[in-house]
Amino acid sequence: MRFRIGRVITPTAAALVVVAFFAASLGTADIDNVWKYIVNPTLNQASSAHNIIWEIRIPRILAAILVGAILGISGVLAQGATNNPIADPAIIGTSAGASLGVVISVLLNVATIGSPLAVAFAFLGAVAATFVVFALSKTSMQLIIIGIGISAILTAAVGLIVSTIERPDARSISFWSLGSFALVTQASLWVLAAVLFVGSIAAWKVAPSLDLLSLGDTSMRHLGFDPQRARLKIFLIFATLIAASVSVVGTISFLALATPHIARNIIGPQTKKLIPFSAFLGALILLIADTAARTLVPPFDLPIGLITSLIGAPILILAVKKSAQVWR
Amino acid sequence: MAMIEIKNLTVSRGEKRVITNFNAVIPAATIAVITGPNGCGKSTLLATIAGDVSPDSGEITLDGQLLSSLSLPQQSTMRSVLSQQSNYWLAYTVRQSLELGQSSDAIARIDSVLNQLGIFDIADQSILTLSGGQGQRVEIARALIADRPILLLDEPLAAQDMASCKNIIEILQELKRAGKTILLVAHAQSADLSWCDQIINDLA
Repeated sequence: MRFRIGRVITPTAAALVVVAFFAASLGTADIDNVWKYIVNPTLNQASSAHNIIWEIRIPRILAAILVGAILGISGVLAQGATNNPIADPAIIGTSAGASLGVVISVLLNVATIGSPLAVAFAFLGAVAATFVVFALSKTSMQLIIIGIGISAILTAAVGLIVSTIERPDARSISFWSLGSFALVTQASLWVLAAVLFVGSIAAWKVAPSLDLLSLGDTSMRHLGFDPQRARLKIFLIFATLIAASVSVVGTISFLALATPHIARNIIGPQTKKLIPFSAFLGALILLIADTAARTLVPPFDLPIGLITSLIGAPILILAVKKSAQVWR
Repeated sequence: MAMIEIKNLTVSRGEKRVITNFNAVIPAATIAVITGPNGCGKSTLLATIAGDVSPDSGEITLDGQLLSSLSLPQQSTMRSVLSQQSNYWLAYTVRQSLELGQSSDAIARIDSVLNQLGIFDIADQSILTLSGGQGQRVEIARALIADRPILLLDEPLAAQDMASCKNIIEILQELKRAGKTILLVAHAQSADLSWCDQIINDLA
């Protein structure tokens, strides 16, 4: 059963808005008349209630939406470019490369987490790691295995660096490296929004190549298209998206892998439908996950990566079990 | 006039030399078949003409133009290729899959080609649910809808029953009468190849 794209995006977008408002009303701090503050951004601007909602909760909600959309699109690009259902930015080394780029830039004191300069360093790391993985692999299977290996090396390097640094912000860097929305600033929201905007237009433009890559490299060449050139373009878009996401919130596991599978299960594999739907779906899942992370066990802010795994993995398993047509 | 011309072609796969100093001329509006025992280089020859494999030496010309001087898009306007089946994992419908990378003219031909091949009824079925024979006919359809002067077909009859074989042979003969040049690989040496105009079986 396949749905028309508008009929799935509209309810997903509506759900996103509802969950976003609901999330703004939830939090460790008890606020009287919380809805009045949410619907009126100018109410009592000096109050702590206004501050908590408009300076803390809403930026974080927006970050979850933007990062979720970025990861949803990234998964489509990673699986399409490699023509492999288990590809995702964490598996093919891109996220780990981006992490290392950010950590190096922060330790050299040239950038702070979430700043545009950190994104640039993350981009260099993401591109370098992805291309090393690609240069070393000859088959789709090698790509995954070598990707896991390179990821492990780079993640270990980030972990070792982070666990041995002595600086006042060491703890927050460590928390960031495991995936966290704690360091989101208003400036970083603009970075995420700009990258998402440019990235989704670029992803839309390469959508026909992503569909063609599903035929396999040989058939694609027979039809007159160069698969390696298409792949290069896709990876540059993908690395930019991942760089922005990792430099603000660190590595968030499972979302980029699971979201496209769930989305395909509902609307089918055509990339032009999949990109927007996967973006909305990723945003919705991450917003729910982050809201759970900060409200389930107050006053703890649970590691977001663990929550996305807990939500994404069962849905992924169900989605794949339900339909043998999606994955063979 | 020669549509496909092969001069002194030598091709290796890895360390092994598969084709040595091979020459052939295939005129326009011909059905030529490459045949021979397993591992004799049939598919390698077809893949070399399709531009998938670079020869060690020698040259191939398509309609008078040197293959090595043609870009990918240029090659694709001269010939279409049926290669051995891909391993798909995404559930495109047959129609969606056939539309990929094709011109609007080619897309407009999908229905009639599916009809000719007797698989119009599976047009909206997922390509992951097809039988071997159906899947292969879909790939034949992919090669036919582009309507190119040259058709390179790797074992088009391999997974087909008698009726489908007969149907595909009739389609190929009709295409030949319309002026197409068809080069195919046939696996079974015992099969009746009397419907082909030219038999190529001395690759080594």
